[in-house]
Amino acid sequence: MNIKTAFSVKPDVQNAVADIKSQLKNFDPTLVVFFASSIFAPEEIAERMESSFPSAETFGCSTAGEIVTGKMLTKSITAMAFNKNAVKDCKVEVIENLNKESYRAFNAFQRHFGQSMKEMDPHKYVGIILIDGLCCKEELIMDKMGDLTNVAFIGGSAGDDLRFENTYVYANGKSFSHAAVMAILEPATEFSFIKTQSFCELPKKLVVTKADEFTREVYEFNGKPAAVAYAEALGVSVEEAKKRFMHNPIGLVFEGEPFVRSPQQIKGDGMVFYCSVKEGMELSLLESTDIIASTKQSLDAAKAEMGSISGVVNFNCILRTLELGQKGLCEDYGKLFSDVPTVGFSTYGEQYIGHINQTATMLVFK
Amino acid sequence: MAGKIKQMIDTIISQRAKDNAMLAGVIKTKLMLKGIDPSKFTPQSPDDPAVIGKLEILMKEL
Repeated sequence: MNIKTAFSVKPDVQNAVADIKSQLKNFDPTLVVFFASSIFAPEEIAERMESSFPSAETFGCSTAGEIVTGKMLTKSITAMAFNKNAVKDCKVEVIENLNKESYRAFNAFQRHFGQSMKEMDPHKYVGIILIDGLCCKEELIMDKMGDLTNVAFIGGSAGDDLRFENTYVYANGKSFSHAAVMAILEPATEFSFIKTQSFCELPKKLVVTKADEFTREVYEFNGKPAAVAYAEALGVSVEEAKKRFMHNPIGLVFEGEPFVRSPQQIKGDGMVFYCSVKEGMELSLLESTDIIASTKQSLDAAKAEMGSISGVVNFNCILRTLELGQKGLCEDYGKLFSDVPTVGFSTYGEQYIGHINQTATMLVFK
Repeated sequence: MAGKIKQMIDTIISQRAKDNAMLAGVIKTKLMLKGIDPSKFTPQSPDDPAVIGKLEILMKEL
C-alpha cells in the first residue's frame, strides 16, 4: 500500500500527533497531508506534524470537521501519507500576500520542476490549494492560476468549526492566516477528479444585472432587487426565501454541470453569497437532491473509469456536512468511503477550476 | 465592428488546449467563471470593449 491514512481524536496536540505517527510507523512518506480541528493550536500542530515526519513534505489546514476512511469526524486530526511509489515529487509553497504572490509561487514551482507552469503536463502534475476560509480571495487566486497554467488545482477553504473567527493553513512546520498553501504533486499513478453537487437545475433563470463581485453581493437580478427576484423565482415571500438558501442555491450551469453559488444572507434588498457572481452572468435556480446517492454515483463512476482507487482527498462543503447532520446521514456519508483510503475535511469553500459552494471536490488516485 | 470576441476566444482555446478536448472544456469553463460565455459569441457579435479587455489580459498570459 502506497497511500495510508491515519486519524486521532486525542484532545491534545502532542498525543494526537504521536497517535498518528504510530499508525504510520514502518511507512516512509514523501508527503503527509493533514486536516485538523480548530481545537488544536495552529503553531503547535504545524510544528509537530513536520517534526514527526522529517523526511516528508507536510501541509494541511484547520477545518470545520474532518473526514477519514469510513468516517466523518469532529475534534480530530486526519492525515494521508504518500510514499514515493504514490507521489514521486512534490513542492509546497505558501502565498502570504494573497493579492500579489501567485507569480512568486509559480516561479518557485518552475525552478523546482525545471519547466514553466504553462508547459507542465496536466496529465502528469496536479495542484492542491488550501486557503484561508475567511479571506474572500479564492476567486482571485483561482482565476489567476487558471490563466497561468493548464495544471488543475483542487482544494478547499480552511474552516474553524463554524466560529468564523480565524482559519489557518499549515506548511513547512508553520501556520499561516490570511494565506494559501499551494502544492504541485507529481503522482506516480494516474489521477482524476470528482466534482459532485447534489442539485437539479430548475427552469427559473436569474441574470445578474447589478453586483459587486469583490464583496460577493448581488444588488439586482433581472433588473429587480435581488432578494425580491430570488423569492419570486421560488414563488415565496422574501421572509420565506431566507429559509430556502441551503435547499435552493443558484448556479452557473455550463454544459449541464452546475457551479454552485450559495446565498449567505439577505442584506437590504440585495443578497450576499459565499462565492462571487459577476454582472451579466445567467444563473439557474437549483434544488437539492440526495447527497448520499449522488456522491455514491460519482465515486462508482470514478472507480469504473480508473479500474481501482488507491486514495481520495475529499474537500466537502460545510453546508453539505450540515445538511447531512440535519438528516442524520453523516455516518452513511462516511461509509461511502469505507473501502478506499480517504482523507478530507468540511470546507468553507471548494476549489476546482474555480471557487464553488455546496460541492465536494475530490482528488482521486488510481 | 463585430466578431473580434469570437476570434479571441477561439485563439485562446486553440493555443491553450492544443486539440485536447478535455482541456478545451476546462478552458471554456474558466471563461464562463470569468463571466464570458463562449457559446454566446458568434462572428456577428459586436466588439464589446469590456469583454475584449478581459480577453486581452488572458491572451497576454499565453
